[in-house]
Amino acid sequence: MLLSLLTFLPLVGALLVAVLPTRGNAALRAVTLGVTLVVAALGVWVFLGFEGASAEAQYVESHAWFTLGNIQVTYRLGVDGLSILLVALTAVLMPFVAAASSGHIHTRQREFLVWLLVMETGMMGVFLALDVMLFYFFWEVSLVPLYFILGIWGAEKRIYATLKFFLYTLSGSLLMLVAIIAAVYGSGHSDIAGITDWAASQPLARTGWLFAGFAIAFAIKVPLIPFHTWLADAHTQAPTAGSVILAGVLLKMGTYGLLRFGIAMFPAAAISAAPLFLALGAVGILYGAFLAMAQTDVKRLIACSSVSHLGFVVMGMFALTAAGLRGGVLQMINHGLSTGLLFLLFGAIYERRHSRDIAQFGGLAACVPIFAFFWTFSMLASVGLPGLNGFVGEWLILLGTFQASPLIAALAVTGVIFGAVYLLKATRGLLFGPVIHEENRSMPDLRLAEIAVVAPLCLACLWIGVAPGGLLNKTTGSVEALVQRLDAARGTLQSAMLDDVERPR
Amino acid sequence: MTTQEIAGLIDQTYSPQTWAGLAPLLTLAGGILLLLFVELFERLHPLRAPLFLASLIGTFLAHKYAGAVGPILGGSYIVDGATVAWGQLFLASTMLAWFFARQYYRTSLAFLGEHDILLLTAPLGMTVMAGAGDLVTFFVGLELLSIPLYCLAAFRRRRNDSVEAGLKYFILGAFGVALLLYGAALTYVGTGHLDLAGIAAGLEGPGRPLAFAGLALIAGSLFFKLSIFPFHLWVPDVYQGSPTPITVLMATGTKAAALAFLMRFAAVLPGSSANLIALLAVLTMAAGNLGALVQKDLKRMLAYSGIAHAGTVLLAVAGTVAAPALAGDAIQAVLFYMAAYIFTAGGAFGILAWLEADGDLFTRIDSLRGLARRRPWLAATLSLFLLSLGGIPATGGFLGKWLVFSVSTRADLITMTILGVLLSVVALGYYLRVIVAMYMEPEPAELAPPMTERAWATFGTSLCAWMVLILGVLPGWFLGRVF
Repeated sequence: MLLSLLTFLPLVGALLVAVLPTRGNAALRAVTLGVTLVVAALGVWVFLGFEGASAEAQYVESHAWFTLGNIQVTYRLGVDGLSILLVALTAVLMPFVAAASSGHIHTRQREFLVWLLVMETGMMGVFLALDVMLFYFFWEVSLVPLYFILGIWGAEKRIYATLKFFLYTLSGSLLMLVAIIAAVYGSGHSDIAGITDWAASQPLARTGWLFAGFAIAFAIKVPLIPFHTWLADAHTQAPTAGSVILAGVLLKMGTYGLLRFGIAMFPAAAISAAPLFLALGAVGILYGAFLAMAQTDVKRLIACSSVSHLGFVVMGMFALTAAGLRGGVLQMINHGLSTGLLFLLFGAIYERRHSRDIAQFGGLAACVPIFAFFWTFSMLASVGLPGLNGFVGEWLILLGTFQASPLIAALAVTGVIFGAVYLLKATRGLLFGPVIHEENRSMPDLRLAEIAVVAPLCLACLWIGVAPGGLLNKTTGSVEALVQRLDAARGTLQSAMLDDVERPR
Repeated sequence: MTTQEIAGLIDQTYSPQTWAGLAPLLTLAGGILLLLFVELFERLHPLRAPLFLASLIGTFLAHKYAGAVGPILGGSYIVDGATVAWGQLFLASTMLAWFFARQYYRTSLAFLGEHDILLLTAPLGMTVMAGAGDLVTFFVGLELLSIPLYCLAAFRRRRNDSVEAGLKYFILGAFGVALLLYGAALTYVGTGHLDLAGIAAGLEGPGRPLAFAGLALIAGSLFFKLSIFPFHLWVPDVYQGSPTPITVLMATGTKAAALAFLMRFAAVLPGSSANLIALLAVLTMAAGNLGALVQKDLKRMLAYSGIAHAGTVLLAVAGTVAAPALAGDAIQAVLFYMAAYIFTAGGAFGILAWLEADGDLFTRIDSLRGLARRRPWLAATLSLFLLSLGGIPATGGFLGKWLVFSVSTRADLITMTILGVLLSVVALGYYLRVIVAMYMEPEPAELAPPMTERAWATFGTSLCAWMVLILGVLPGWFLGRVF
């Protein structure tokens, strides 16, 4: 019941906001904020009660939904070590997004709040579903609200960006749909556990295709090189709240999918494909960093930095070692927090100056010192300064990758340096140097309401940096179980190869 | 044949089982006759609407309680679960057309009685088609459906495009029927049978080549009604020219009826034709989707999208031809797909009928700009239908697509399925364009669609919206009811 509440409370809130008979927007904002706060409290409650040492799904709810032939499709929700952090992140991030949106959404607020809440339902559902049909259901439903958020409240080239985002993601999802159909009818199950058991007994030739179908959809969503071009457009054109959701949670649906439906469901295929994904991750880290260095548009720069950071996540996960997997899971959260912060902060500045061009700024440290402090803090978190959250994740990922492939790890380390280069460059351009444009001098500093939004997120970054154990412990059981299954699959693969060698055709 | 044998045959023919099987058809026919009678006396005209609805409801109940009694009348009419389900869907489609026709016609009010009578004849023909066990029964059903539709397509007789639509539909329809009859003749020569079971058995005989030529012609006439490539070219003109409520019926009911018989007919087709059918399905999807992509008029765009949907559902037919073991799943898939399509496309065309109000100006995508501001609920409902047509989850269109693709995947038509899947991404491209116009573009300075209030159309549209959502979220409700 708790997880259903977590998922559908926002939807109820959306309906309430849609029909509430009021002309002003204050009541609507209050309802939205209230609903997201309740969901956040529930999310924290689930997080605290979650038993990290266990590999089992917890808080499970299971009901029959409908039958297809002799396949029972279930409404099955649950949370395990792979999803608990993302569930908590989504729940906690949404009130901040809702609160921040009042500053920069000036038209059609009611619609915006409705879509925001529907979005939360979609994202929660994706992370909580333990049935592939249910998962796919939420996965595609979550496309629609972002489509509207981008298309209605975006910047000048929004419609192009929206269509690109939607069609890109959809073409991946539909290929996944074919893979889901094949998996469901092949195994006779539609719950994830049933399909996983079935897949373990299937030959690599079959699971390889299924893995590919799933992986393409998630690679587009992450996005991995070469599917990354939609992200820069979407981020640049999105309103601040859209960017924050996109960077904070939505992209994690891709990495989460790779973890749950790629690695955990088809371990043997994942082992075979791991070199490719390691390479793609490393290329993404470097290429994203180079792209970011060349940008003059701040939002585009942050978007490119996302490509680079998510390259880290994918690389860590496909190292297929305990350290890499844990680092990958943690880094999803870190990226959500630090990139979300950067977007929130720049959104505040964009609201005042209506420009995304770095050249329009400079010397802001003198004009808006509070902003400068928070920006520098978030930037350092994003770079991975020791003591802040990014460092822990990147360190674990590099450690895990080094165990799998020292060469790739060495390449990726240079990415950390380049990451520092472009973020420091952007920060210098924004904050330091002489004040060139006079209008920057009169720019008001962050308001109390804005500080109230960013300060808790900064504290969370600090907390994770100093005491990451609180989060990492929640993943222990699931990651250990996953590593054991990977070892078993590796053993089976090796013995199959030996069989081939011993029986020459 | 002795007297006793003949008496036995008569007893068997007029058994209670036969009457039960015919009950829905008789109810409909009775309703039509009563409506004709009512038409004679002006004082009785207020009874038209209640009588029409009563006929539909009565027929629905007859379907429900008479149930599937099996083959009757010597096997020429088969009342199985599929016939019953199809019959009920045809009633839904007719009812929607009727709802949207209320207050639609301004200039030809005098003929509304005829309109209703012709409209009520259509589901009679469709049901006969769905239950037909031999080619002659199918022919009777097809004509019973087509002739009223020719008249209805030209019902706005003062408008050139409506008359053009009627004439075009008639000439091409006659061509399709000629194909059917010639095919039936060749099949009869080749196999010595007109009933489907007999044809299947006779295919092994020496008349095989002739019979195959005949089957191909019959398939062609079915493809014509179903608007399958290369028989799809008439669709946009006819759909656009016809009165929109009639377009609702043509786009949903007629297509479903042709499909219903095609599912029976597929059992006769040789397995080797599966690849050809799947290829036609993909070509149809390509023709429909690419055609829709360049349309500026929503009604015409929906016509092309209807072609694409016919292609999608044809994949399930190809699946059952390739793997006869999947026949049960295929019929379930096709029924669900069409149920969702009837309410989705029916609702979308219904909203168009509403906006159109005697002028074509307002069905252009441009004129929908800013509709979300002026009429938020109407825009939201149309968006729901468009998303369902695109197959986004939480709508009926999604599960329909899932079921169809699952049949073709399991029948090992993987390449065609993946091509079809990618083509349905193209489809979202044009559906979203309409949503963009409604939600994301500024209102035009002039040419706002009229704000007429229409109680029946409101009711019909909300019914469609609810059904689309129910089929999307609680599909078990429908799946459990049908099978």
